[in-house]
Amino acid sequence: MTTYFGVDVADVIETMPSRFRKEAAAGISGRFGYDLGEAGRWRLAVRDGDAALAPAEDLDDCLAVVATDPQTFVGIQLGKIDATEAMALQKLTVAGDRGAFGSITRLFQKYLPPGEEALPDTELVVLKQTISVGQTFATGPVMGRFLKGLKQKKILAMRCPVCGRLQSPPREICAVCRVRNTEWVEVGPKGEMRMLEYVYYASPDPLTGETRETPYGAIGVLLDGCRDEEVFWHLLNPAQLDRVQMGSVIDGQVRHGSRLRPVWAENRTGSIDDIQYFELDD
Amino acid sequence: MQSDFDTSDCYTIEGKLALPYTYFAGRVGSRFITTLRDQHKIMGVRCDACDTVFVPPRQTCERCLGDLTDSWCEVGSRGRVVNFTVVRYPDRHLPRPVPYVLAMILLEGADTPIVHLLEGIPPEQVAVDMAVEAVFAETTTHTIRDIDHFKPCDA
Repeated sequence: MTTYFGVDVADVIETMPSRFRKEAAAGISGRFGYDLGEAGRWRLAVRDGDAALAPAEDLDDCLAVVATDPQTFVGIQLGKIDATEAMALQKLTVAGDRGAFGSITRLFQKYLPPGEEALPDTELVVLKQTISVGQTFATGPVMGRFLKGLKQKKILAMRCPVCGRLQSPPREICAVCRVRNTEWVEVGPKGEMRMLEYVYYASPDPLTGETRETPYGAIGVLLDGCRDEEVFWHLLNPAQLDRVQMGSVIDGQVRHGSRLRPVWAENRTGSIDDIQYFELDD
Repeated sequence: MQSDFDTSDCYTIEGKLALPYTYFAGRVGSRFITTLRDQHKIMGVRCDACDTVFVPPRQTCERCLGDLTDSWCEVGSRGRVVNFTVVRYPDRHLPRPVPYVLAMILLEGADTPIVHLLEGIPPEQVAVDMAVEAVFAETTTHTIRDIDHFKPCDA
């Protein structure tokens, strides 16, 4: 008895009738030949939902004949050899009506070596997929005007008519007073660094799914014209992470942080990325 | 919105977020799927302590938290409808064009119903207690969709 991958090829062949899926064979009929080298030549006759398998020297009456060696045959049955690859390497050939032959390969339940019926699988089902989420962001009139300003290398803020607070990026309503902001003010573009976060785990950019190289610096810049906590959030030139100083206000004592300037993108489209990042203004 | 609302600064920004992910069916789930795929058999697990057969199978009993990983049993591919809904709101991610029927089916030998598509009958005629049987898929997706749908059958 010749075994391949621990399996007796004769068992694979002889169990074909018992593994035949009658319910899938409607409308399929014909004779199909298997030329399996040392494992012999076989004719499979499919008709009216039944399949009969018998040794046959002469396969000329078959619709299609598959020719391969026993090892490739068993390997494909067990899923250890890819049939398409075997064909490309010419270890398996199909003569005659290939389409008809393709239809009958689906008619057999998968071969399970004896003793493996009790534990049919150690195979783990792992599926890889990519979900693609298309999105449309609407700027509204205020964000739209701010982003258009970036396109022109201007950083715009809005001022609250009640508390005088500047906000950039701007909001339609003052976050503190809840009244509609009315005035546009140009700020910066330079400023001092008031906050720095070292980011080690980057979230994906919602517009592209890309993630930044880490670590990177997320910074709050107090732009010229702004006061107190009216910082502008953006990125730091990653090469300067270790050279910058954070400014602070503690018990009224002001300590100025590194002076920064924006680096504008060559190709500006009206997006927050029209500023690539801020860097030391030295 | 006011009729004099100025939209000259309003525009839209398009984006596409790609989220690659890996789904792992788990050891118990994998066995359920591969048995379904390769032998067209539907497997469940039995909790002897609670006398309950769970289909689809799970690793631990939901009631007593007993380990069910070695307590496999086969259930029939026929069953009866214990509940159903008719999906009428279309979406391109859905498995079928609307309207279609999702049924909760209690398979022979199972104590928990599975949810699957019910086809071959107008939605208005679907009724609880109908006898149905599984129709297996021609090509595998390595998922529960290896059962393509259920169809009515003789009781």
